[in-house]
Amino acid sequence: MDYYHSPSSIKDALSMAGKFSGNYTIFAGGTDIQIYRKQQLDTNEHIIDLSGIDELNSIATKEGILHLGAMTTLDEIISSDEIQLHYPLIAEAAKSVATPVLRKTATIGGNLLVKNRCVFYNQSQAWRNGMGSCLRDVGTICQVTGGKKDCYSRNVSDTAAALIALGAEITLMTPDGITQKPLKDIYLPCGIKFHNLEEHSILTQISVPIKPKKWWYKKLRLRKTLDFTSLTVAATVDINSIARVCLNGVSMSPILVEQTMDTLTQENLTRQARKNCKTVDNDLMPLKYRREMINVFLEEWWDSIEII
Amino acid sequence: MGLKQIELTVNGFSSPFLVQSDEVLLFTLRERLYLTGTKEGCNQGTCGSCTVLLDGKPVLSCMTPTLRCVGKKIITIENISSGDTLHTVQKYLVEKGGLQCGFCTPGVVMTMVPFLEENPNASREEIKEGLSGNLCRCTGYKKIIDAVENAAEEMRS
Ligand SMILES: Cc1cc2nc3c(=O)[nH]c(=O)nc-3n(C[C@H](O)[C@H](O)[C@H](O)COP(=O)(O)OP(=O)(O)OC[C@H]3O[C@@H](n4cnc5c(N)ncnc54)[C@H](O)[C@@H]3O)c2cc1C
Ligand code: SF4
Ligand code: FES
Ligand code: FES
Repeated sequence: MDYYHSPSSIKDALSMAGKFSGNYTIFAGGTDIQIYRKQQLDTNEHIIDLSGIDELNSIATKEGILHLGAMTTLDEIISSDEIQLHYPLIAEAAKSVATPVLRKTATIGGNLLVKNRCVFYNQSQAWRNGMGSCLRDVGTICQVTGGKKDCYSRNVSDTAAALIALGAEITLMTPDGITQKPLKDIYLPCGIKFHNLEEHSILTQISVPIKPKKWWYKKLRLRKTLDFTSLTVAATVDINSIARVCLNGVSMSPILVEQTMDTLTQENLTRQARKNCKTVDNDLMPLKYRREMINVFLEEWWDSIEII
Repeated sequence: MGLKQIELTVNGFSSPFLVQSDEVLLFTLRERLYLTGTKEGCNQGTCGSCTVLLDGKPVLSCMTPTLRCVGKKIITIENISSGDTLHTVQKYLVEKGGLQCGFCTPGVVMTMVPFLEENPNASREEIKEGLSGNLCRCTGYKKIIDAVENAAEEMRS
């Protein structure tokens, strides 16, 4: 019996997903999921490796809309002249993920679906056994919140913040057909089931309609490289003066504040952001500091657009 | 996960052997082929010491499923010098004191060789960025960066 599968078309990948239902894991670059396997946090028996599906690796612009194949690597995105010129926000966000060598393997699709993180969960099995596993693992309560029955692990996708601020849509394929939806609508405010993709879905494409008039991006992390985000803010203002400010790394899903600049004030932006972020003490940086940095980043963004 | 017979091409040689279905390339290289030049540091993608080339592209072998490498060309640190003549990057690491214990060095070499081929005119800042996934616990990085800068200069001339 084979356990490792390398389909060469989306159709084959979907039929494998149907065949191994409930017992398979998709590998794109594998730079996130591989660690879950090493730590026995993902124990599915079958691996479906998408890296042999050439049709999923592409960067193209059609009728003013940028289309990225889900298996395009972050490095290919950063190096693309088209993206550097017209979508620098995407390049900047991709460049802030992981390290240069990892970005040559890590894909944009994998980054949008990177699993939520928590200092009590993303640990070796020995660490988790010693500490007492939480409800996202085999335990019954959340360790961070001291007993709550919900998981508050953080969505840490840097490119999700950027692509949501750009109003991106995604294309999903299932054995039943194709669906398209705004990227922001796939994320759920739950650390365990953090997206609402149907069973057997494969993310195939990301489409970006907006070339914003202004953009801004900043990531808070311990070191300038390697570390996952403690707070990512991506913001755009389009030609109709609609501001889209997306925060990630501070809640179970990316938090979007979308409002016309005519009515937006720094105070109500910060209030909306702080109210919607369910930030708990599950990162290497202290909770109070991370909360305070939300205000600092939003103020920096606000000052930057006032100057322009 | 069961055993599977595969053929891998490592440093120009192809040979068949058995691997576990979920094995990573780092394990295969070190434990099955005894190519122990590739180092296991963190085994979770954060230190860069396990870097090898897969079809010319640097990858972290601790994160790469071995079965993904079938039909591809793997190059390890053992195949970077030409016989006794060190690669320019290796030569300057030695000359400029770019290593102390040497544990991170294979990873630094395997990261910087393709980096300089892709970016022959890399600035000091770009070299630093290129090295930002390679942890070194000894040198403090300055001498590694100096060595790579010197190597870049020689490779350009
Ligand atoms: C040292 C280190 C540092 C890192 N730093 C960061 C960081 O700063 N920011 C960050 O966001 N991430 C970081 N990561 C995590 C990871 O490298 C990135 O998120 C990367 O972009 C994931 O892409 P991938 O292709 O490797 O995904 P994979 O690991 O292959 O997949 C991630 C998840 O998405 C699913 N998936 C992937 N593609 C598809 C698809 N097309 N359809 C359906 N499901 C799919 C997989 O099943 C898996 O659950 C880091 C990882 C390491 C090891
Ligand atoms: S937030 Fe709570 S339940 Fe979720 S991973 Fe962390 S400790 Fe576990
Ligand atoms: S051993 Fe692979 S990156 Fe550290
Ligand atoms: S020389 Fe010792 S880790 Fe780099």
